[in-house]
Amino acid sequence: MPDRLESDYMARRAGREIRSGDVVALGPGIPSLILDLVPGDVAAAWVLSHTGILIRGSGDARTDLASETHQAAGSKGGSSLSFTDTTAMVHGGHVDTAVIETGWVTFGGDFGTGITAGFSTPGPVVELAACAKRVIAIMRHTRPDGSSAFIESSQAPPDGLGCISLLITDVAVLAIEGGQVTVQELAPGWTFGQVAAMTGVPLQTAPGIKEMSFDQPQPPTKPQPRQKVYSSGLEAVRDLPDGAVVNIDGFAGPGGMPHYLMASLRDHGAKELTLISNTAGITRVVNFGTPPGKQAIDHSILVDNHQVKKAISSYPVSPSPNTPTSFELALQRGEVELEVVPQGTLAERIRAGGAGVAAFYTPTGVGTLLAEGKETRTIDGKEYVLEMALKADYCLIRGHKADTLGNVVYKGTSRNFNPIMATSAKITIVEVDEIVDPGVLGPEEIVTPGVYVDRIVLRPADFSPYD
Amino acid sequence: MSQNPDIPRNSQGRTKVFASPKAALDGLADGAVVLIGGFEGLGVPESLLKALLDRGTSNLTCICQGAWTSLSDGQSVGLDRLASAGQISKLIAPLPFLTGDLRGGSGQSGVEARWSLGSLEIEAVPQGVLAERLRAGGAGLGGIFLPTAAGGLVREGRENREVRQFDGQDHVFYPALRADFALLRAAAADPVGNLVYRGAQRNWNPVMAMAATVSIAEVDEILDLGGLDPELVISPGIFVNRVVRTN
Repeated sequence: MPDRLESDYMARRAGREIRSGDVVALGPGIPSLILDLVPGDVAAAWVLSHTGILIRGSGDARTDLASETHQAAGSKGGSSLSFTDTTAMVHGGHVDTAVIETGWVTFGGDFGTGITAGFSTPGPVVELAACAKRVIAIMRHTRPDGSSAFIESSQAPPDGLGCISLLITDVAVLAIEGGQVTVQELAPGWTFGQVAAMTGVPLQTAPGIKEMSFDQPQPPTKPQPRQKVYSSGLEAVRDLPDGAVVNIDGFAGPGGMPHYLMASLRDHGAKELTLISNTAGITRVVNFGTPPGKQAIDHSILVDNHQVKKAISSYPVSPSPNTPTSFELALQRGEVELEVVPQGTLAERIRAGGAGVAAFYTPTGVGTLLAEGKETRTIDGKEYVLEMALKADYCLIRGHKADTLGNVVYKGTSRNFNPIMATSAKITIVEVDEIVDPGVLGPEEIVTPGVYVDRIVLRPADFSPYD
Repeated sequence: MSQNPDIPRNSQGRTKVFASPKAALDGLADGAVVLIGGFEGLGVPESLLKALLDRGTSNLTCICQGAWTSLSDGQSVGLDRLASAGQISKLIAPLPFLTGDLRGGSGQSGVEARWSLGSLEIEAVPQGVLAERLRAGGAGLGGIFLPTAAGGLVREGRENREVRQFDGQDHVFYPALRADFALLRAAAADPVGNLVYRGAQRNWNPVMAMAATVSIAEVDEILDLGGLDPELVISPGIFVNRVVRTN
């Protein structure tokens, strides 16, 4: 029999599946070797290591994983994450491709980690397999006893059902699709017959079956275009449609609000919007140090322009009945709808939307009008209300600095709702004071990883947050 | 999980700084539920684990990534020596132990040996489920519905879990999880317990800091108040009760 592939060759073959711009999560074991690869498309992808480091690019990354310092992540725009951060990324559906090592795989794409009989070692692999858009498995083609690790069905309970679409073994690359297993590539020296003879399931041969290749795409010689950087706020919101649900960051005062993007949204004119936001615009009536003769830019500019259908807010009206807000007046006229949510519940619902948590039980609001019509439940003797996740189509946030990959840092109280809102929208647009090159923002400093940010605009130096 | 209101959260007046890892474990009694930060030797509170080994506290329920001696450093305590010493009665972990093969053929780990004998109970849990349950515990939620679906459900037994559909997808109910103590590893602290981490140290430590009655952090350096940049603090001091220098 020809030689079987060593682990690093299986990793190199898997590395060829990574596409520029993908968010790729690597399970423990052989997949972590992908970090050793020469940068190609790997360098232009986000790679989430099983140790909680989000890497942009490759190089010395793996060596550094053991040192806790991980300078390589920083030099390319990566960041250090906690396991709640990585879990949110995985459960929230933000991972394009997961590469995992398995103990066995079935005809139908089920798999098991299968290290020791008697219990599972799920690690981070169960949720990767369940939540990533594409799952690639790496495993040895046969078990230590010589039997096929690729099997018809398993006696042992699986760690994932029907999730493996591509299997890379030490003798072949196999596609699993629609109840068919096709050998697409063979390890050097191997024939289809040899592979089929040692496999526990019937195999098809692909028309263009070829020898496995391990070369990585070359890194781009020219600098990547600044794809995420838009020339103006209006350009960045141009495709925001009527009826969209829009997260708008900010607490109440001037800090943290994306004034420039809000003004751009007004100029853009999309209507029937649902705003998810802490307030529905109170800066204009509270002032917070607005210069005499000026009016602060807040949500009121959208309400006054008849663009808002509904607000989901925790502080929707003016603190003083003598100075009603635009939204309040529109509400009294019956022109807008309102869903009132306590501030902490609003934050949790938005986080849940980004983190793939469908619903949660909170003690906030029990026994009040806020709990009316909602399920309640007693857990360990305490009563809770069931609240649902909130997701948005677009998100407008206010950062301080961003790099061209979309990593964002905030300044002071501007952090408030920004980091969670950025995770829960399909398109997240950030407005910043400064745009820098990747690597300028340190891995410990980045608050919102670029994975969550789609568009970046520079707030013009002469832009005034007052009308 | 149990919460003992009698545990002293801060026995040294206003400062949270303790003189030694041994002193920092004050009140950690037999039967305690203990969170332990770290992953594969990264961000593991080794000095606190050594002190816990010396202390001899038994019947512990440990919640952590798993029990291994650090692969790069044979001297580290990890959780395995606590298990070998018979101090752990239950382990809740995503990767409970490494088998002989994966440990370079160096035989059974302490956890595996104890588990094989039936003297240590293991509950293997998906990593993301554990992270979200601890976060829910730390954030005061009662429980959450998570998408970690198919495979996990087959293993756990669908009939044993509350499954509900949201947006047409199965979600599983998990109750929040809290513990009595958390043993943490960070890079630096200040006297009120604010913490910063370095690289992969961040893994389990911030969420575990939130989810315990008493959180104890071992750090390389303790800076004066104001020594940590407020934009860089990851665990605010309100989540951290005790701080000690690593040995």
